[in-house]
Amino acid sequence: MDIIKALFSLWEDTGFHNANWGNLIMILVGIGLVFLAIRYSYKPLLLIPLGMGVILGNIPFLHEAAYHTGIYQEGSVLNYLFFGVLKGIYPALIFLGLGAMTDLSPLISNPKLMLLGAAAQVGIFATFLGAMVFGFPMAEAAAIAIIGGADGNTAIFLTSQLASGLHASGNGLDMQNLIGPIAIAAYIYMSLVPVIQPPIMKLLTTKKERLIRMKPPRTVSKFEKILFPLLGLLLSAFVAPASLPLLGMFFFGNILKESGLTKQLATTVSTILIDIVLVLIGLTVGASTQADVFLKWESILIFVLGAIAFMIATAGGVIFAKVMNIFLKKENRINPLVGASGVAAVPDSARIAHEMGLKEDPTNHLIGHAMAPNIAGLIGSAITAGLLLGFLL
Amino acid sequence: MKTLSITFDLSLIDHYTLVITVAGYCIVLFALALMAYFFTGLHTFQDFLANRRIAEHTESGKEEKPKVVMTGEENAAIAAALYLFFSELHDEEKYVMTIRKVSKTYSPWSSKIYGIWNSMKHS
Repeated sequence: MDIIKALFSLWEDTGFHNANWGNLIMILVGIGLVFLAIRYSYKPLLLIPLGMGVILGNIPFLHEAAYHTGIYQEGSVLNYLFFGVLKGIYPALIFLGLGAMTDLSPLISNPKLMLLGAAAQVGIFATFLGAMVFGFPMAEAAAIAIIGGADGNTAIFLTSQLASGLHASGNGLDMQNLIGPIAIAAYIYMSLVPVIQPPIMKLLTTKKERLIRMKPPRTVSKFEKILFPLLGLLLSAFVAPASLPLLGMFFFGNILKESGLTKQLATTVSTILIDIVLVLIGLTVGASTQADVFLKWESILIFVLGAIAFMIATAGGVIFAKVMNIFLKKENRINPLVGASGVAAVPDSARIAHEMGLKEDPTNHLIGHAMAPNIAGLIGSAITAGLLLGFLL
Repeated sequence: MKTLSITFDLSLIDHYTLVITVAGYCIVLFALALMAYFFTGLHTFQDFLANRRIAEHTESGKEEKPKVVMTGEENAAIAAALYLFFSELHDEEKYVMTIRKVSKTYSPWSSKIYGIWNSMKHS
């Protein structure tokens, strides 16, 4: 009799007994992400850990078991690793690595292109209003809207502060845990930049505009390269102190690179450290999409709103570039394709602008120019996240 | 826990939401515009200082150097040319083999003549 009881207990413990449709659907989603990454090379460094995380987080287990396995069960290994997401540690470390690998020269040599990075933030604020209309509480609406910034790390950072399921809004509604849907939406749209952006760019520009040759960027002095992160840090910290964990780390990483004296540190944070954090953030964010948390109508709405935010941001950058051209001299005109790089998907959206420019004129290389609004978009979306935190917390 | 009910209600956008939206966007635009303005000004200021230095040198009788303005593209072209030149140097080596004669100077420190066995035989 005891043997039968033991066997039954073992059966109850297995995934076969505890599986439900939600788990199976999410496991298929995880496999789909891994497939996209391997078959079509869509951001494999991001989507493979994410897809494996989704599979890992949706392996069915007995919730009442004495051992702790799930990411939301206190004391489990995944729960400890998830701490870095919940407290915004991983995004900050990724920004450190990004700062150490980013050359800010394109931005310094043509500072007016920074405005394109600011213009593209219109996607975030428009979607903030859209999410409010659909009944999301303000904090959740802000977290959803940040998908328009097209930077997964900023999205995870803001969502961990505003909609991680640990806070309550002013009107008594408990905030939902939206980290999974928002992070997955942001990362998927980042990897789908080559699919989403080109039609919008083509629709909003004429052939003549796409052929515009921009003035070659000037040489940037070392003094300027060192001054930029210092000034950027001070300015962003004073305007939006809540963005300090992101932009403070970004500019710190950049000064490690530009000082020329801490090459060893810059190399470590921009290679080994960022790789480790990327693995951890991808895996844990993926694992946080447990079917009971993820499979809701709200998730679908978040995906739709995120896509709209991304499209508005792209359009905002392109249109702003066209408006700037009205006021600029002929020799200083901007190719509006570059405006689409104002979203913070570094360097994918800059590459798309470059490739579209090359299609029109194989001798017109836009990558050097497009990197400027791209980096400005990264800085702009982090400032926006800081401002939203300041307003809502 | 209360759950969210999905609606579509424009009246949910209140004054506070509008203030956040408009003020937030303006602040981001202002912050980046300020940085852009500063760095444009800094470049102009650096140019001004460089020109003044040249003017001072000219006035003091020193030879005036022509102002060289190089674009990033020119720099990149020169760097690429230098890189190609130096990376191809290896292929341009002369195919002449030289055999250097190595001369060894004599040292008795490890000489077998003065070894212990030879010493024993002689004695």
